Amino acid sequence: MRRHPALRDALIAAIALVVLLLIPAFHRSPAFEDYVIRVSAMALFATSLNLLVGGAGMVSFGHGMFYGLGAYAFALLMQMTDLSLPVAALAAIAITAVGALLVGAVCIRLGTIYFAFVTLAMQMLFFSIIISWQSLTGGDQGLRGGIPRRELFGFELGSQLHLYQFCAVVMVLGLLAMRHIAASPFGATLRMIRDNETRAGFLGVVLWRARLTAFVLAGAFAGLGGVLAALFVSGAYPELADWPNSGQAIFAVMLGGIDTFLGPLVGTMILLALNDIVTRVTEYHGLVLGLVILAFALGLRRGLLDFLRLRRKGAKA
Amino acid sequence: MRTRKIGRRTLLATGTAGMLAAPWVAGAQAKTLRIGMQSILSGPIALLGTSSRNALQMEAERINAAGGFLGRPIEFVYRDSKGQPQEAARVARELVNSTGCELLIDAEASSGSFAVQEVVRDLGVACIHTNSETSSLTADPKIRVPTAFRVARQGVHDAIAGSTYLAKFATDKKISKWATCSPDYAYGRDTTAQYLEFFKRAKPDIEVVTQAWPKLGQADLTEVITKLIQAKPQALFTLLYAGDLSAFVNQGNVYALFSQMTVASPNFDYPVLTAIKNLPTGIQSATRYLETFPDNPGNKAWGEAYRKKFNEYPTNWSWQNTVAMQFYEAAVKKANSLDGKALAAALTGMKINTPFGVDGTITMRDDHTTINYAIGWGQTVPKPPYITDVKPADWGRIVELETEWKKEQHYI
Repeated sequence: MRRHPALRDALIAAIALVVLLLIPAFHRSPAFEDYVIRVSAMALFATSLNLLVGGAGMVSFGHGMFYGLGAYAFALLMQMTDLSLPVAALAAIAITAVGALLVGAVCIRLGTIYFAFVTLAMQMLFFSIIISWQSLTGGDQGLRGGIPRRELFGFELGSQLHLYQFCAVVMVLGLLAMRHIAASPFGATLRMIRDNETRAGFLGVVLWRARLTAFVLAGAFAGLGGVLAALFVSGAYPELADWPNSGQAIFAVMLGGIDTFLGPLVGTMILLALNDIVTRVTEYHGLVLGLVILAFALGLRRGLLDFLRLRRKGAKA
Repeated sequence: MRTRKIGRRTLLATGTAGMLAAPWVAGAQAKTLRIGMQSILSGPIALLGTSSRNALQMEAERINAAGGFLGRPIEFVYRDSKGQPQEAARVARELVNSTGCELLIDAEASSGSFAVQEVVRDLGVACIHTNSETSSLTADPKIRVPTAFRVARQGVHDAIAGSTYLAKFATDKKISKWATCSPDYAYGRDTTAQYLEFFKRAKPDIEVVTQAWPKLGQADLTEVITKLIQAKPQALFTLLYAGDLSAFVNQGNVYALFSQMTVASPNFDYPVLTAIKNLPTGIQSATRYLETFPDNPGNKAWGEAYRKKFNEYPTNWSWQNTVAMQFYEAAVKKANSLDGKALAAALTGMKINTPFGVDGTITMRDDHTTINYAIGWGQTVPKPPYITDVKPADWGRIVELETEWKKEQHYI
């Protein structure tokens, strides 16, 4: 097993995908399906953020900008052109990657704190553009009128079941792709830069190039998450690109764990489940969420998966 | 030992009784008709949701006392969307798919209501938007949805009514130099432009000497106020609202702004009027909701009942939600069904008697939006009723200009 980690990952992904696809055959639950659709968008987003935070030590506060850019690019392409859905989705991801390249070119040379703040500033700039460029984006009302969900190989994405299946496939493939990036020599290079950038530089690694590549890849995957989010709300809204959304991804990463690949996925699942349950019961959801995060930060002192992994290690030793 | 045995038996008996009774209990629950209501119930604009919810609570009591809908008592399920569109879409789907709501009241503000609109398009359930004033929600045929309706004031109606009133006011008082001061985002800029357009159509000789755009929630308005005073306009038109508007009046009082120009705004409603320390006399204002306009016993009694029950004044959102339930009540009776399509057919073109209509009726027009609701303009006085000498708007004129506007937008 150790010798074929890629094979093992693919196997886990395949099993997870089969299970997800089989569930509706046994039991149809619209709430569960909506939950998985939302998890798929948010998990891609949070995991892509963790490529930067956990993988490269680059804490970006403005990652939501690419989530929003993906959503807007996709929704606009679907509304304004006759492109088929996968082509529009790929084009949206490409646009997001270009956006990430431009932003990254400005930010990646900055030190940790300045990097965090400049990415946040860039997000606020992007948010302001959405709000002011009304003729294109609809301003603060959002991009209205629904996304025409053109049929895709017999899939009608207006139907909840088909959207669920589509999102499950995209999420699993997306996570698998990011897992490969993290496990590749490139991923190892990023971790080396994170741990000791001087030494990495002496070993001949071109720091800015590796960081910029990571930034663009992370932006592209966040854009993919944004595409799924746009499909779910059938539109694009400025809130998707606003800074509290970046905060949500940071929470998801913190709750799930930074050093474990599936941490952000688990964090997303906790965050969204908490949101769904708590908003049903009380209007003070912010308070409950804050207490849970405090419990994680002060009690576990790390994300859930990191905590469990360390405990297992501790038990073995 | 003995007591223990009895305990077990008691348990057995209760259990059996419970099992036997279960179908009845379940039956009773299924008989209740659940209506989903979503809005912003937390954060700085929670009043939107809470004053809507209050009104719906009163309606539920009234309707249940009269036998409910189709003989079933109604029950509201309230959900907070926090004003986030993706959350609004999720909540709408959850209310219908998981909570079993058969009707929807969407009390979201702007962007949330557009997200709900798309969910309703997919689900085909009946939905009434009660708080979104953005005209395109129903006016644009691309955005309109077969089973979704709006029971609320609409931006374009207010703009026409307001500019018609202000044009006459300006002619009578010989006012030609105007300034504007509105919040710096889509609503403020678009709607100001729309008011000015209709205003200039009615009175071509007006001149706009300065325009100020304070940020939403800006605490210190000194700079804005001094800029307005220095421009020396004869009158000021403002679309500031809620906390921003009361802050503007309170700070404007310090600079004696209200003695130097006539101020006009469509946005003085009870929450604002009661938050101002010294309300100046003679501000020209529309009535978003007023107990004394339309001046009829039904409106007065409703306003008083609301105040008595919740110890605060009702808002514009309160009457809109009330009328939405009155429409549902009439439509369910007429269609004898809760099916989205049947209700849509019943609601389209429906006219109901209600104290909130300008002549005692409100009509749901074919384009799924209400007309003939109360729009009036009057002037402020420092004590209740706060706005006096209210002149009702001419709905014939509103519909005429609205039709022209729709043609210009290529909606018809």
